[in-house]
Amino acid sequence: MTHHIEELKKFTINKINLSLIGIFIFSVFLFVAISADIISPYGPWERFEPYSSPSSDHLLGTNDMGNDILSELFHGTRVSLIVGFGASIIATAIGILIGLSSGYYRGLVDEILMAITDISLMIPRIPLIIILAALLRPSFVIIMLLIGLLWWPNIARVVRSLTLQIRDSPFILSSKSLGFRDRHIIFSDIIPNIIYIIIPKFMLTIASAMISEASISFLGLGDPTMKSWGMMLNFAFMKGALINEMWWWYLPPGLCIVGVVFSLMIIGFALEEKDNTEEVDE
Amino acid sequence: MGSILEIRELSIVFSTVIGNVYAVNKSSFNLNNNETLALVGETGCGKSVIANSIMRLLPQNAKVSGKIMYKGQDILKMSEKEIEKIRQQEISIVFQNPSMSLNPLQKIGDQISEPLLIHKKMNKKDAFNKSIDLLRTMGFQNPSKTAKMYPHQLSGGMNQRVLLAISMTLNPSIIIADEPTKGLDNILITDMIEEFKTLKRANESSLLIITHDLSVARELSDRIAIMYSGDILEISETESFFNNPLHPYSKILLDSLPERGFNPPKGTSPSMVNIPKGCKFHPRCPYVKKECTEKVPSITSHNGRQVRCYLFL
Amino acid sequence: MKINSKKLIRYLLAIFVIFSLNFIIPRAMPGDPLTNLLGEDFHMTEETLQELTEQMGLDKPLHLQYIDYWGNVFRFDFGYTYHLKGPVTSVIFSRMKWTLLLVLPSIILSSIIGSLLGAFSGIKSSKKVSKMLTLTELGFYSTPTFFLSLIFLYIFSFKFGLFPTKGFYTTGSLFDILHHFFLPITIMTLFLNSRNYMIMRGSVIQEKSKLYVVYAKAKGLSENQILFRHIFKNSSLPLLTILALDFGFILTGALLIEIVFSMNGMGTLIYDALLSRDYPILYGAFMIISLMVVLANAFVDILYGIIDPRIGDGT
Ligand SMILES: Nc1ncnc2c1ncn2[C@@H]1O[C@H](COP(=O)(O)OP(=O)(O)OP(=O)(O)O)[C@@H](O)[C@H]1O
Ligand SMILES: [Mg+2]
Repeated sequence: MTHHIEELKKFTINKINLSLIGIFIFSVFLFVAISADIISPYGPWERFEPYSSPSSDHLLGTNDMGNDILSELFHGTRVSLIVGFGASIIATAIGILIGLSSGYYRGLVDEILMAITDISLMIPRIPLIIILAALLRPSFVIIMLLIGLLWWPNIARVVRSLTLQIRDSPFILSSKSLGFRDRHIIFSDIIPNIIYIIIPKFMLTIASAMISEASISFLGLGDPTMKSWGMMLNFAFMKGALINEMWWWYLPPGLCIVGVVFSLMIIGFALEEKDNTEEVDE
Repeated sequence: MGSILEIRELSIVFSTVIGNVYAVNKSSFNLNNNETLALVGETGCGKSVIANSIMRLLPQNAKVSGKIMYKGQDILKMSEKEIEKIRQQEISIVFQNPSMSLNPLQKIGDQISEPLLIHKKMNKKDAFNKSIDLLRTMGFQNPSKTAKMYPHQLSGGMNQRVLLAISMTLNPSIIIADEPTKGLDNILITDMIEEFKTLKRANESSLLIITHDLSVARELSDRIAIMYSGDILEISETESFFNNPLHPYSKILLDSLPERGFNPPKGTSPSMVNIPKGCKFHPRCPYVKKECTEKVPSITSHNGRQVRCYLFL
Repeated sequence: MKINSKKLIRYLLAIFVIFSLNFIIPRAMPGDPLTNLLGEDFHMTEETLQELTEQMGLDKPLHLQYIDYWGNVFRFDFGYTYHLKGPVTSVIFSRMKWTLLLVLPSIILSSIIGSLLGAFSGIKSSKKVSKMLTLTELGFYSTPTFFLSLIFLYIFSFKFGLFPTKGFYTTGSLFDILHHFFLPITIMTLFLNSRNYMIMRGSVIQEKSKLYVVYAKAKGLSENQILFRHIFKNSSLPLLTILALDFGFILTGALLIEIVFSMNGMGTLIYDALLSRDYPILYGAFMIISLMVVLANAFVDILYGIIDPRIGDGT
């Protein structure tokens, strides 16, 4: 009997691994984002009695403008996820491009690209975005672009070092000696071999982009027409939700940020940890 | 002449993603007091795995069975605390890859002193001086300078001798040296052989030397054990081995010696994952018979020597 | 002092790029450069504006403006704030010390706790405690500092009344300052600790599979001795690098905490500057944070040279 329980424990820890839990949580948010229009009880801009507490009509009450907070939250999911995904796609694409070129062509190209990468790494990114966002029209697309354009250096470095390793491996050398073109080698030999490491990095970049977006929006630099969770928190904070104990206003958007970021972190962590244990086994 | 180390039916299996790797199969041998035993075999045959199992240094995916009796106690049954007392104080080891074995951020002298600090509670200064003495014994021209250097500043051969110095710090009963001449040129090999002779004179230790260089084995060892793909095929006195190798594989190995025309063995050793039936050597054996392909021959005594072959059953 | 010349050039280049960005941004962004430089929401006569345009050289060609700009930089003149009526540098420096009072103790505390916990967890990485601890730390890692601040402020200050709800000090006595800084430092430490923990854990996992660690075991060292005599120092090198590289990110985290707790540091300065459109403060803060990041990197490089003998030997 005890033996049986031991077996069961092993099963739950090893087999139903962390990444599945992460994927599940993340899928819930993804579902909410996609179907926000259908599942929201009201439109995000519909007005009711302001500052009302949770009730059967408004499960999470209403805000200072009288908007239904739950509907706002569902629509915010969409904005926050689009910014996170969009920024991460841009950053990952630039990172792969620069990292691959640097690692594959080496020499002067590598020197120059890595100098650019190292210098970009030292620029404090959020303070820079704060300036740009303050001077530009507030818009979530601009924030997404800015994050995307500033978040690539970490990925570029990882891709470069992987490319350097793979480029020296015997199968690439033989592809080269068989006269395959560079582009063929990059697309059919190198990319498939680094994708397993890029995917967790991509996840972690979404997480980091979402936290950054939330921080920037919390400073009031978000898009007032497309409220993200960070913007909701900013309004709640400014309008005294904390002092007036309106937890239903500031807690849900904060918890949602933590929830999505946490789910992405554990997916990324589980994938990277798997790599480690495999290394030990070999 | 008693044995200080008795290895009985030692088997080592690694579980990996590609399946079980049967690295050592039911191998038995003794290491006698004060003797030098050479363990010889091609690359990948399991020599280092045996060495590491004696020190209980194998990674977690290794399953070890059998007995490793040191002074009457089974090393495989010891607690972690007990084996910590055996390591370095009773048995020390020189790894195959000396430069990677040293901590890159510590001075050579500190790494030699470490066992003295930990096990002998010596003070730092005395230990450092002792490490300088040991470096001098190991043939370093300017030992006090070397002691203050870092591993990356020394050559592989020098780091090899540093490891030998470390192995001697506590006068252990057994010293295991894994490929001590690997990557050295002929002059350095001669030096290294001298180093080992010094070490034997100074320490009265038993030595287990792992090598695939037969001439080193001949210079240094009293007895020799031949290993092939996880199996021990022959154990003989070094003298008689070189005069008259018994196992067909031993004969082929000897043909690779320079004085015998430098004929390296042809073919490759079999996989340790999908093990062939019968004697592991049969696919390459000139004397192969039908029974060789069916069942592993057991190891038997023949004129005081041990050999695993149907020719001597 | 071993710092290699390639790195040094890179730092100088980084400063050059960052300062040039600061020159370009207000002039390249949409809108009137004068407004972009001086900020909005304050009133001036047409005359003063004309005077300022001339005084700031905005009527000169760009390359001459650029040369003037560097002249100002070398005089450490980062502009003037018309809202706060003072040179940007002195306003920022008067606030900076309070931010550093929040950041530096947190970095030290979180480095000690995070590296110890991370090392412990890395050594026992296959154990359940290690996985549980990692999940907890990932939870903190996932929580933005400002949200954690909101929660802590509500629980400990509003609900239990243990700590002040606003401001950075009232009487200025040591106890008073500690009382005000306790929660912010705790939050900052938790946030940094989770990052340090993850880095150290990963680093130890990587390090412990190296041969020198097996050799240390062969020397008869116990698990703790191996950890503290060998693995710990070697694994903390990446921690140093990342702390320096992420210094800007760390500061940003601190600024957000300051805003929630209405503390008198750089965070509230930036926040107020945003609300009042006082752009010179934003540029100045960006410059000074950048300089601190570059300095932190150079400092870690020098530390590296001391800790790692392989650096600076040209090998
Ligand atoms: N940790 C491990 N996991 C899986 N297989 C292993 C492990 N360590 C060793 N092996 C396998 O065990 C076999 C024996 O390895 P070992 O290192 O003992 O060879 P060796 O005789 O010392 O060779 P060499 O002369 O090259 O040092 C090899 O096939 C190797 O791949
Ligand atoms: Mg070996």
